[in-house]
Amino acid sequence: MSEVLLQQIEKLAAEAQTKSAQLRKGETIVEVDQRQLKNFIKRLVTETSARHLSTITGLDLDQNIGIIYHFWIERNTIHVKTFVPKTAPAALSIVDIVPGAILYEMEIHDMFGITFEGNPWIDKKLLLPDNWPSDLPPPLLKNANAAEIRKRLGLEVEKK
Amino acid sequence: MPRRRAGAVIPEMFRQMLEKPSTQAYPYKQVKLPERFRGKLDIDPERCTGCAVCSLVCPASVITMVDTGTRIVGDRELKVRRPVFDLSTCIFCGECVDNCAFKALELTKQFEIATPNKSDLFMNKALSK
Amino acid sequence: MIEQTGNAVRKEESAGLMKYSAENLVPFGPIHPALKEPEYFKLVLEGERIVEVIPRIGYVHRGLEKTAESRPWVQNMYMFERTCGICSFVHSLTYGQAVEGLTIYEIPRRAKFIRTIIAELERIHSHLLWVGLMGHWTGFETLFMWVWRDREVVLDLVEAISGNRVHKSMNAFCGVRRDMPEGMEDRIVERMKFLVDRANYYKQIVDTEETMLERTEGVGRISPDTAEKLCAVGPMARYVGLKHDIRLNDPYAAYEEVPFDIVTRKEGDAHALLKLRLDELIVSANMISYAVKHLPSGPIRIKIPPIIPAGEHSSHSEAPRGEIFYYVKSSGGRTPDRVKSRQPTLANLPTALEMLKGQTLADIPVVLTAIDPCFGCMDRMSFVDIESNKKWTWSGEQLRQYGISKYFPERSKKQARTHSQPGQEVTSTKLCYKEEGF
Repeated sequence: MSEVLLQQIEKLAAEAQTKSAQLRKGETIVEVDQRQLKNFIKRLVTETSARHLSTITGLDLDQNIGIIYHFWIERNTIHVKTFVPKTAPAALSIVDIVPGAILYEMEIHDMFGITFEGNPWIDKKLLLPDNWPSDLPPPLLKNANAAEIRKRLGLEVEKK
Repeated sequence: MPRRRAGAVIPEMFRQMLEKPSTQAYPYKQVKLPERFRGKLDIDPERCTGCAVCSLVCPASVITMVDTGTRIVGDRELKVRRPVFDLSTCIFCGECVDNCAFKALELTKQFEIATPNKSDLFMNKALSK
Repeated sequence: MIEQTGNAVRKEESAGLMKYSAENLVPFGPIHPALKEPEYFKLVLEGERIVEVIPRIGYVHRGLEKTAESRPWVQNMYMFERTCGICSFVHSLTYGQAVEGLTIYEIPRRAKFIRTIIAELERIHSHLLWVGLMGHWTGFETLFMWVWRDREVVLDLVEAISGNRVHKSMNAFCGVRRDMPEGMEDRIVERMKFLVDRANYYKQIVDTEETMLERTEGVGRISPDTAEKLCAVGPMARYVGLKHDIRLNDPYAAYEEVPFDIVTRKEGDAHALLKLRLDELIVSANMISYAVKHLPSGPIRIKIPPIIPAGEHSSHSEAPRGEIFYYVKSSGGRTPDRVKSRQPTLANLPTALEMLKGQTLADIPVVLTAIDPCFGCMDRMSFVDIESNKKWTWSGEQLRQYGISKYFPERSKKQARTHSQPGQEVTSTKLCYKEEGF
């Protein structure tokens, strides 16, 4: 089962002008450019049997923000990684291909500040409070300080 | 296909009325605790040497090391430290007990530790040695 | 989405989702002192039917992922154990597996069996709790009390093994921290037999008792295609017939060596969920009896150094509610670089929103409990009626009473509690918050 799947993924990766790498047995990672992403995911979901999206993770790398889509089928996990520059944090939404991704994209929008174009609920906050000050950086970036967030939101706890 | 009816639990209800109740009459009767119960922390000051491993592994910042003097070893003067416990943040995980090489720490069976004074939960026993 | 500009709301269309308009929308606070995980849903109604649901969560967001980046690896395990009370062991198990994959060490076989035993005990506890909650929200208080008393059997066993009823702290990297006590084998097998008998009795009650059948048959239907597209996990995928079980499809711990059957049902309503979870309880009890009798000997733990090599790894496992997913990235230090944890209730939320469309107002407690959220997340709701332009607020208790009064009007007339009718402003003392006009 996994041999067939690996070959399919390698073929799809080659068509998207990139390569796939095996992290360890049962885990594959593919780095895809932002422009090829929707096509790659659409073909992955329709042609192979990997249809279940576990979650979407955001990563803070120095110049870019990484977005990883985790797909899973039968002892194989496929990580699809893409990058978005910090100066222009905008990405394309995959809600029309995988409708279950709607809340995960809202979470990344709250925590990393990336807007997903095409997501119908992207202007709503999912996790952050309504009175979040707009000049604070999104919480999960490395330059966001937890003590400063507490002070700005008025949540300081008096220590004896 | 079983028959739908209302009151299907009535036979069982009569049977349950003849059994003894399941509630324990705490605090009028003593509660029986299992052997591995994890309650309040206790230290044996005779065995503690001040190696500070417990304060490094505690996930809840309960243990602070405090200087209590010096001792002479050969021709050097070394600091002596002892732990001080703030048990109000303890999560009863037992990491300090597992990692103490001298078996000085123990989780007792005492669970009635709620108090309105925070200073009741400070444990300074180890400073006495 | 309903946007508020003063008192009037505009009507817009966006990506297939209609935005409805209503006058004088009353805002509300879902923060309830007794809840573990409050959510709130804005429901758009037409008479009695629900047309659309909009969620808003984040009221107990504690910032665990940010905190995890500044604590050592072992201390994070205790922190992630406290994400949830009912599935605490599975959280620390999945985090442990994600980090162990970055090292070169193997887990001893006895430790895998002990992890399986505790995980299945937790599953029995969670399913018993859920069956009781279902009884409470449909008005069947007797079932609630009986099931929660049987739950004490499981909690006593857990306390005898690990020392605590809820947060077991049994997991460590590459092993477990405590061994099974001596002479527990017979006691565990006898208790499992007792639980299987009780579960069979409850299955019979659920099939014959008129209250449960009226309230749960045909409620909360969804098609298998929709469930798969919305990435439903756990029992929400299995109750429409999909064979999604991580213990079978991607085994971890000792699930390759302990035989079990996967439980699926085809009907796809809340009654099927009741029978599915009771069946899973019986399967878990048999697994525990098998594992306890075939426990291998050997070490229970390997101590590993506190610095984890660089790399990234992800791991998932089957919690009582669905799939828990952890992703860990290390850059070779004493603290992690990034930890991501995704709980199953978030993955089942789009499915829950789909289930609610087309149901009536009185079915909301049953549907929202059927997805097994973490403890009464729906205790605060506000309703907007389009046709008659009325607004009102209920607490969870009032909604439950309304549901009972709708289905069994003779029974509820005898109870002298507050009745709530749509459109009637409630002034009882059960309201915890008084809304000021917005």
